[in-house]
Amino acid sequence: MTTLILSGFLALSAGLLAISIFGILTRRNFILLLIAIEIGMNAAILNFVYFAAFSGATTGLDGQAIAVVLIGFAATEIAVGLAIVLALNRLKGSINVAQAIELKL
Amino acid sequence: MIDTSFVGPFLPEIVLLAATLLVFLLDVLGVRRLEIAGAIGVVGVGVAFFLVAADLGFSPIAGFATIPSGQINVGGPTGLYAFTSLGLVFQLIFLTAAFLVGLASLSRPTGERGASIFYGLLTLATLGMLLVAIAADLIFLLLAIELTSISTYLLVAYTRKDGRSLEAAMKFYIVGALSTTLSFFGASLLFGAYGTTNLRAIAGMGSAGVPTLVLLGYGFLIAGLAFKVTLVPFHAWAVDVYDGAPTDVSAFLAGGTKKIGLFAFFLVFLGPILAVKASGASTLPFGTGPFNVGPVLQIALAAAAVLTMTVGNVLALLQKEMKRMLAYSSISQAGYMLIGVTVGTAPAIAGATLQIFAHVLMKGGAFLVVAAVAGVGVGPLITDWRGLGTRRPLLGVAFGLMLLSLAGVPLTIGFVSKFVLFSSAVEAQGWFVWLAVAGLLNSALSVFYYARVLKVMFFDVADPMPTTVPLAAAASSARLAFGGIGVGRAAAIALVAVVIVAVGIYPQLLLGPIQSAAQHFVNVGP
Repeated sequence: MTTLILSGFLALSAGLLAISIFGILTRRNFILLLIAIEIGMNAAILNFVYFAAFSGATTGLDGQAIAVVLIGFAATEIAVGLAIVLALNRLKGSINVAQAIELKL
Repeated sequence: MIDTSFVGPFLPEIVLLAATLLVFLLDVLGVRRLEIAGAIGVVGVGVAFFLVAADLGFSPIAGFATIPSGQINVGGPTGLYAFTSLGLVFQLIFLTAAFLVGLASLSRPTGERGASIFYGLLTLATLGMLLVAIAADLIFLLLAIELTSISTYLLVAYTRKDGRSLEAAMKFYIVGALSTTLSFFGASLLFGAYGTTNLRAIAGMGSAGVPTLVLLGYGFLIAGLAFKVTLVPFHAWAVDVYDGAPTDVSAFLAGGTKKIGLFAFFLVFLGPILAVKASGASTLPFGTGPFNVGPVLQIALAAAAVLTMTVGNVLALLQKEMKRMLAYSSISQAGYMLIGVTVGTAPAIAGATLQIFAHVLMKGGAFLVVAAVAGVGVGPLITDWRGLGTRRPLLGVAFGLMLLSLAGVPLTIGFVSKFVLFSSAVEAQGWFVWLAVAGLLNSALSVFYYARVLKVMFFDVADPMPTTVPLAAAASSARLAFGGIGVGRAAAIALVAVVIVAVGIYPQLLLGPIQSAAQHFVNVGP
């Protein structure tokens, strides 16, 4: 019974990761990109909590502790992203990724 | 009473942290001169280099060692970190890259903003790199990589007023964030499969766990880390970022931070591969025996290595701009280094380590020369370098040495490292021989585009174009000495050229310590 429930949770985080990757690849607005990145980090964070919860006592509180650390890390990453958005907006007056075409691909 | 004995071994990291905080503190107080920030940064990195070299036990300075000798290369279970000789060797490699870039950046234009930001972020990124080298836990490793990555996102954008470098920072950030997500997702699956994130514990459980979960976990980890190491097909961002970033930062990215991804490959993937070798199991995954992840990893990494070096070299052949050509050549070099991880014997690890050190010098040095040449008014195209070898003979010879070394010509460090690496693949027998063959063919291919640059520099006649820097006036200032290149940058380039030739002529200088470190690594595990 437990395995069935765990795989359901894992499907949830796999779905979140898919949404995130899809968003990163298709979104052209930098703020929406940041949201997509955040969703992907949360998929990984949720995984740590599931596995810790379903493994019982064998892993102690490792999974939950890692999740808390990663929440802090994700906030740092997004803060840096916002700093880049601000600088970009000041310089170009736009946060549209598609307008950044000075470098050829 | 609080136990403070754990502080000592971290003295190099503490020095770098102090340098970072000092530079940022002075920035807040309004002290933003390039000389002051630069001196703090370069001295901090230099002191850290000295301390790590002492820890490795180089004879004249071994008395300054901060790690008790009994704590290096200890086997068995570990906590979050473990000191290994190979990790300390890699710390020296990382500090070399940071030192060269810091030294060269002392010669930046006086009026440029952001000197304190540059040096603060440089030391902070270096701190993250040192932590990668001692990691023994998957989460610790990934967080240390991120400490470096986040610093480098900002380092690319530190001028804030340059559209190209901001755009490069944006691309770098998006790709970096995607790779971080994939790495952590992979780590979470491995945590689910094994119930631990300790790398040594994971290495011993290659045949345990639910195969689907294990393979997916390693797959996501390979993809996430491959972005950092610029493996094909996760390489496209690197060219744009190296091209758009300030050139000194490109030198740090290509020569420095890319290598933390490679050391992460050592730590994460060599464990299961070495465990399989120790158990004497088949090195092919198609056997009928029980599931083991080690051979699968070897096949995946071998495919990535061959693909990366081939695609990188072919695309480098087609480039017209110097920085983009160097960026693609950097991608192909990552493929060579991956051979060492795939083969996974002590000589192969030593060869890959030497190749990584050689690449720090060659590629970092080459980007520093590009920055110097751009500073004296030469355009970005390869053809713009026409006749540079006759106009600026010393600079031309130094750059020529770096290119010859990248191509693997004898009497340079690039030849020694490729020789050790490829011969280790041949010694390993079996299908590993084909990796050496692929590497040799690719080296031959790469000679074309390096030789083309040499031809342009030394044999094509320059346009009668006057250099934009008035040489007589320039010689009075240290920043503009050596015909507008500056003392710091000239010293960094000269240092690289000397080491390339010195190790090329007398390989035992480095080979001995690296080989013994690699042997320790094989014995005790990551």
